[in-house]
Amino acid sequence: MIDVDIELVQGSFTLAARIRIDSAAAALFGPSGAGKTTILDAIAGLRTPRSGSIVVDGRVLFSSKDRINLPPQQRRVGYVPQDVALFPHMNVRRNLLYGRHPGLSPDLDRVVGMLEIDRLLDRRVTDLSGGERQRVALGRALMSGPSLLLLDEPLAAVDVPLRRRILPYLLRVRDHLRVPIVYVSHDREEVEALADVVVRLDAGRVVGVDTPGTRLMP
Amino acid sequence: MDAWRIAWFTVLCATGATLIVLPPAVVIAWLLARRTFPGRAVVETIVSLPLVMPPVATGLILLMLLSRRGPIGRVLERFGIDVVFTWKAVVLAMALMGLPLLVRTALAGFEQVNVRYERVAATLGASPARIFLTISLPLAWPSVLAGAVLAFARGLGEFGATIVVAGSIPGATRTLAVAIYGYTETGRDSDALVLLLISVAIAFAALWSAHRLVERRPA
Amino acid sequence: MEPAWSVALISLRHVRTLVAIPLALWIAAAQGLPAPKPITVSAAVSLTDALTAVAEAYGREGLGSVRLNFGASNVLARQIVAGAPVDVFISADEAQMDVVAAAGMLKEGTRVAIVHNQLAIVVPTDRPRTFRGISDLTNPAIKRIAIGDPAAVPAGVYAKQYLEKEGLWDAVSARIVPAGSVRAALTAVESGAADAAIVYRTDARIALRATVAWVVPFDRGPRIVYPAAVVRTTALPTESARFLDFVRGAAAARIFERFGFR
Repeated sequence: MIDVDIELVQGSFTLAARIRIDSAAAALFGPSGAGKTTILDAIAGLRTPRSGSIVVDGRVLFSSKDRINLPPQQRRVGYVPQDVALFPHMNVRRNLLYGRHPGLSPDLDRVVGMLEIDRLLDRRVTDLSGGERQRVALGRALMSGPSLLLLDEPLAAVDVPLRRRILPYLLRVRDHLRVPIVYVSHDREEVEALADVVVRLDAGRVVGVDTPGTRLMP
Repeated sequence: MDAWRIAWFTVLCATGATLIVLPPAVVIAWLLARRTFPGRAVVETIVSLPLVMPPVATGLILLMLLSRRGPIGRVLERFGIDVVFTWKAVVLAMALMGLPLLVRTALAGFEQVNVRYERVAATLGASPARIFLTISLPLAWPSVLAGAVLAFARGLGEFGATIVVAGSIPGATRTLAVAIYGYTETGRDSDALVLLLISVAIAFAALWSAHRLVERRPA
Repeated sequence: MEPAWSVALISLRHVRTLVAIPLALWIAAAQGLPAPKPITVSAAVSLTDALTAVAEAYGREGLGSVRLNFGASNVLARQIVAGAPVDVFISADEAQMDVVAAAGMLKEGTRVAIVHNQLAIVVPTDRPRTFRGISDLTNPAIKRIAIGDPAAVPAGVYAKQYLEKEGLWDAVSARIVPAGSVRAALTAVESGAADAAIVYRTDARIALRATVAWVVPFDRGPRIVYPAAVVRTTALPTESARFLDFVRGAAAARIFERFGFR
């Protein structure tokens, strides 16, 4: 259960969103500039809202009323930014283990097996293909033992055939590791395959919430 | 002719100065690159002062602070530490003159590091100190190193501040630059020329390596 | 191309070795410094060779050890006023000694004159000429005359004083080239940039590509004196006085003469 109710000002842009998500995978859908990434940043603790609250599974991550603002380190949120941001000076293994947390992290073998990156462990990240980078970034986020996974346009940077190959990995994460996913997308195909809730955003506002039964998308 | 001794002494002092100034300069550069805090502009200005002030003035300020009657010198004297007119003053003068070069080069390096790496590291649970040591510093390292080489080279050529706060004491505080001045003032031009050639060789080697490091820096 | 991070790591290793060796040597050198406390003598840079020889003789006679600090007299004076640990000051002119005196930094009754110098006119060796007197400077063939900057350099102050006393300043002032130091004035002649320079006799002596055209006689020229005094804040007043005595003595006088002073 993710409960986000925030107001966030960033220059001339104001985001005012109230979102309740109670599903395994939710998509934030909308044109660029709608505020999708800003919401992910706020949940991850990388941007501070002016007011409101962010609660994940009963844990208060942010509350302006109660003056709570957990630093990103304590939020237990796995974040994969759009450019994946693999640490370029570390190999795949060191990237994966960077956020390892005793007691919280899943087994490395299980994660690399599931994402099929076990053969890449000793490679430099600069030598990886686009799809490999996506999977390593996903693995790195998972290895920190997150209670929530935030993915910013996970498939935007890869071409269509690759997209079809990465999607199953995301489904595995959703179904096997049971880590809820909130992700940003403007690709309908991707949204339909993965999300069971679609929050539609425009100009910093929620303009609609679609569930599979009431899907309004053409 | 103790040219090699003078050269060796100068290289040691410049190395020591660079090492002393490296940690604070890197921290200052990182703070300036990543943090907004009150007095930021003041810090930036103070750090740049040795670059814009006449070196003799920098030396005079150091001298007034560190002499036996100065606020710092008085405290140090109680512990039996003399700085003025010793190799320590040479190192200090070089360090201070190298500080702006090191901070500015390192600052440019930190600014080139994508903030996203540091943010992702934070979401992965890394403390600010760990982020600095494992992400920011390694990625900015070529610039930090290039800045250190620049500071070292600046130390080699330091004259104005050194001669004021460390003097020109043969065998004790005479650096290449100070000795070259001394030799030309007393008509020993050929001795000065030998030191000049040594200086040029060392400075060339230092700047060449800095240049190579900057060139290899990731875009 | 090799990625930048690997270059960085290699460089880090290099820095470690580069640093460890000099640091160890440096510490060793610092511990090997001589134990007995020498007196520190700040002296005008033009005295470098002569005073070094005097200090060596002083040490040979077992009278004590001396640490010599050479620099431009105005810098030395400022150091002393700012509190630098100096025991004896030997200035190239009275003016800088006066600066230290005005700051109350001289030990009373210790100020003495130690050596004298004379002004000399030098010309390039490849264009030698002999002057019969200072008025030969007005010769139209001499287009540029280098002197120390009269606003800052003692030798320049003396040169201007002397030219004024001889009533020649107005006649030659348009041809005067002020230089940053007396050595710079000499270099101007040696390089051919100036046709003549007014410098100290001691400088003219050691010049390689300049020859003395005329030496201003002692009784006609300005009184050029290197004054010396003990600094008030000295921790070694007895040793300082002993050194000053030696510098004024007969043995030192012979050494100074060898270097062209009187």
